[in-house]
Amino acid sequence: MNQLFFLSLFLLGFIGMLLNRNLIKLIIGFEIMEASVLLWFISFTNQGGNPPIYLLDKPGMVLNDPLPQALALTAIVIAASNIALFLTLVIELSRYHKASDVDKIKGLRD
Amino acid sequence: MRLSFLLPLLIVLPLLTAFLIPLIDILAIALRKILVIISISLELVFSLSLLFYFSPLGKEKLPISYYLGGWEPPLGISLSLNHLGLIFSMLVSVSLFLITLYSLEYIEHHEGKYYVLLFVVLGAMQGVVLTNDLFNLYVFIELLTVASTPLVAFDRTSSAIEAGIKYIVYGLLGGLFFFIGIVLIYLSLGTLSLAEIALSFSSLPIPFQETVLIFFIISLTIKLGIFPFHFWLAKAHSSAPAPISALLSGVMLKLYLCVFLRLFWVVLDFPLMEASWLKSFVLYLALGSSLLGHLFAFQEEDLKRLLAFSSVGHIGIIVAVLLVNTPEALYGGMLHIINHLIMKSALFLDSGYFLQFTKSHLIKDLKGVFHYNRYLFASFVIVVLAMIGIPPLNGFFSKWYMLLAFVEEGIHLGGIVVILGSLLAIPYYFRVISYGISPCEEKPVVSLSQDPPPASLMIFTILALVVLTVVTGIFYFCLNPILDGAVQELLPLQIYPPFPGGS
Repeated sequence: MNQLFFLSLFLLGFIGMLLNRNLIKLIIGFEIMEASVLLWFISFTNQGGNPPIYLLDKPGMVLNDPLPQALALTAIVIAASNIALFLTLVIELSRYHKASDVDKIKGLRD
Repeated sequence: MRLSFLLPLLIVLPLLTAFLIPLIDILAIALRKILVIISISLELVFSLSLLFYFSPLGKEKLPISYYLGGWEPPLGISLSLNHLGLIFSMLVSVSLFLITLYSLEYIEHHEGKYYVLLFVVLGAMQGVVLTNDLFNLYVFIELLTVASTPLVAFDRTSSAIEAGIKYIVYGLLGGLFFFIGIVLIYLSLGTLSLAEIALSFSSLPIPFQETVLIFFIISLTIKLGIFPFHFWLAKAHSSAPAPISALLSGVMLKLYLCVFLRLFWVVLDFPLMEASWLKSFVLYLALGSSLLGHLFAFQEEDLKRLLAFSSVGHIGIIVAVLLVNTPEALYGGMLHIINHLIMKSALFLDSGYFLQFTKSHLIKDLKGVFHYNRYLFASFVIVVLAMIGIPPLNGFFSKWYMLLAFVEEGIHLGGIVVILGSLLAIPYYFRVISYGISPCEEKPVVSLSQDPPPASLMIFTILALVVLTVVTGIFYFCLNPILDGAVQELLPLQIYPPFPGGS
């Protein structure tokens, strides 16, 4: 059930990215894809234990694997800088074209 | 392992320089040029000393590794260098050295930002070559994308910004698929070290292995610009400033080929890929992409777009020949990686030099460019001949080995594509040359009586690349010991006979 949810979220983002002709909506589609992958990664490695910030001092204590969370944080930072760069370019482009529609900008169609 | 401290230095030095450039700009702008030259020369010296000590003729043996912070695996992250890494690290240092020298005269505005980005790209490239950790590889690839996008859009014209947007969208998609592959590997194996993945990857169920392979293949076809994703490449590589075009088309594509080689041959299970439909699918896709690239180049009116589509053609053939996976094929493919880097960088830098006289990249505007600087145009012709594959220039030998590899394995379509690519290259390059040497009866943009712009460093860089073209052509066998080492690393030795072309 969970897997299906993440898969449908991924496909939603992917279809949004393919069908939307607006640059801003296109990157929102990409963000949804990225978020679905990260959510899937984090939830899959969640064994129902404690957050990995405690010491393993009590018997029977389960900690979640900290590495996926570190990786996901890094991926979020990378995605954020990428999106910021993308939006900067869209703003720059608006100096030349008063549109963010892919079909109205000749250089982006071909 | 006395020299292993050089591995982190190769990555840290460019990143440190990128950090120092804005600080030095505050002090005195004149110092920046000195810092840039010193730093890029040091990087070259480090790389050359690695080559000197670790080449098969040198004293020490590869591979070496360096544990960052003294944390040994499996806890820490390590850097490592083998023959494959040595080749690519050398290529990156030498070509970036020449490209930086060229940029010193070519780039005339926002130099501070330009060099910051260029050095971040250099650091990320060395990181991609040297890292021994899958997630670090992903971070360095993303760093390459982030740092090179502003360089693509550096001119801030409408077309440059459009190219930047296209470049970053495809870069992001490629990165996302790479990340999904990493997630799948971590969920099943619980490790990210390339060496440990290589040990245990083949124990996974086969459908799962194929899924992982498919995600990495999608990611790398996007990054390499192979057929269904080839269109972003021409736009991005032609709209950037000339040194950046040389960087993208000459060096960065080769770097993704290095990732391709390391992932599929060393880390993931190549025998599985060879047995399944994936190998022949990617091989024929790459061959088709190669043919399409040459066909697109054939009908192109713009010199830089022509060169970019020709890159699509050459990358396609290299990927195809590497997938044949015989010693000759890997040798030919890697020789062509080196040669194509030299030739394509030289051609893009040439196009930047011509731009000073023509102010346009259209081929018909190149009319009479021969008369501005005859020696430089002659060098352009030499590189074009090498590109087509005229002996004894370097393009001939790598194309010859690729042709032999295809024919010996019975993939005749591959041989046909190699020959057709060369045949198609003849008319499209000769159209450029014939426009170049035709007399310019119309008024030229920059008159002949005017002093040409000062460009001694630019000319030096181009001539250095032309000399490399000729030298690696005639003395191509000097590369054999090191290429041999790299080929041996990629092949399981006990199955294959000793390498024929080696020393």
